[in-house]
Amino acid sequence: MIKVEHLSKRYKRTLAVDDLDFEVRPGVVTGFLGPNGSGKSTTMRIILGLDHPTKGRATVKGKRYEELRDPMHEVGALLDAKAIHPGRTARNHLRALAASNRITVARVDEVLEFAGIASVADKRVGDFSLGMSQRLGIAGALLGDPEVLLFDEPVNGLDPEGIRWIREFFRSLANEGRTVFVSSHLMSEIAVSADQIIVIGRGKFITQGSIDTLTATAKGTVFVRAANHPLLLASLRSKGGVISEVNDEGLSVSELTSDQIGQIAFDAGIALFELTPQRASLEEVFMDLTADAVEYGSSGVRHEQ
Amino acid sequence: MSSDVTLGSTTKSEWIKFHTVRSTVMGVIITFVLTIGLGVLITVAVRGHWTSMATGERLTFDPVSASLDGILFAQFAVGVIGTLFITSEYSSGSIRTTLVAVPNRLKLMAGKLIVLAASMLVVTEIVCFITFLIGQAIFSGVVPTASLSNGTVLRTVIFAGVYLTLLSILGFSLGLILRQSAACISVFTSLLLILPIIAFLLPQSWQHAFSKFEPSELGRAMTSVTGTSGDFSAWGALALLVTYVVVVLGVGTTMLKRRDA
Repeated sequence: MIKVEHLSKRYKRTLAVDDLDFEVRPGVVTGFLGPNGSGKSTTMRIILGLDHPTKGRATVKGKRYEELRDPMHEVGALLDAKAIHPGRTARNHLRALAASNRITVARVDEVLEFAGIASVADKRVGDFSLGMSQRLGIAGALLGDPEVLLFDEPVNGLDPEGIRWIREFFRSLANEGRTVFVSSHLMSEIAVSADQIIVIGRGKFITQGSIDTLTATAKGTVFVRAANHPLLLASLRSKGGVISEVNDEGLSVSELTSDQIGQIAFDAGIALFELTPQRASLEEVFMDLTADAVEYGSSGVRHEQ
Repeated sequence: MSSDVTLGSTTKSEWIKFHTVRSTVMGVIITFVLTIGLGVLITVAVRGHWTSMATGERLTFDPVSASLDGILFAQFAVGVIGTLFITSEYSSGSIRTTLVAVPNRLKLMAGKLIVLAASMLVVTEIVCFITFLIGQAIFSGVVPTASLSNGTVLRTVIFAGVYLTLLSILGFSLGLILRQSAACISVFTSLLLILPIIAFLLPQSWQHAFSKFEPSELGRAMTSVTGTSGDFSAWGALALLVTYVVVVLGVGTTMLKRRDA
């Protein structure tokens, strides 16, 4: 289990992480979602004891990372797949990692096999594609057979086969009762593999929950096609409607329900040809959530001068 | 409290990292080539000019340091080996993988230091003894030679290796502080090459008082059998160089511990 308590991290003038507070539970895949630069990687680095928090703390199984007795048996992490000495072979890289935590060479061969890179184990890592490096990073994270796993943007660079493989892999890790914490900046990617999602923006906590609860709370839009678009547009706006898109086909309206739109059109004497409520897509939910964060963010900046 | 991550396991891991990269292997080869190759060139040249040398020069001639002059060039190779051992972790980003596996940063530093010091000592001692023996063989019959059965000669050859090892640790320590290979190698080179030039610009009366503290001059004092008046003794020079290295290493370790990785 991972616990982040009132965590803040300041780099010189920027507040990268701002009072984050959440828990990541075992047995499920938890997605860590936020736009690029929202503080996901920083949070993960603090959890792993690489960066020191300015305030608050992060613990794994109740301990700060530095206090873990057998780090690789307790936590496996993949931060940056390309962060490996390019001149070393994949096998030597894993052998060195394994030796530090007294893990056997047999286990090195096992994880190489599992990650599907046994055939290139003796090639220099510098010649690896991003996808192969991701697999090597995953192999490294698994060396100690850890209970808690952290992956920072693991899908980057993987081919479709690799993406499917990694999703099933996350699922099986969670089914074994492990804690799986996976970051991404793409909602669609995380939606298929994660049970729980934690959303952050500009270093601040935004929301947490299952995909279904998140999409349910998000505002949908209504697609309208009518006889007189300019007149309808003006009428909807006067009643508080927000027109997000106008084209030859029709209008996309938010902030009004389809019932309200139908009534407004009727009152204005405009014939409607089509009136379709649209459930927000995952990306729209995400954009909606993080757009709010931008507003919080700027007010936060003012607050701190 | 027993942990899977011990100083022994960390050292083993660092040893695998140390010898599985090309830069270390190349650095060791260059150390061999420079020290032995230049040793041969210099001793052959001395042998050829011996009869035309001034009597005073011949009387103060030190066959030990003359045969080991190649270390003045090899010192850059060993410095680079030490530097890259840590800076390559920062340039590739692998320091994060390393610290996730070994979160205790003091233990990590100690493991790296043991690997670097032990392997460089073995390499440089082998190089220095080979160079010395080849040099004496070339001198033999024309130029006076030195023998390892003489305690001072033996100590001097050993100190030549110790000097190179200390410089590789100095390079490593600078790497802990600066983290960047290029910056680090520039500073290292400046300490050995630019500092003497600065000393040269000082008023004559200050020059020696200043220059004898330079790392390269300490190396000269450590690898000279005869010694020059006013210089540090071999042991004194060793003590001072060790002090330099310990101070820089201490600063580097503190920074490793405090900074974000």
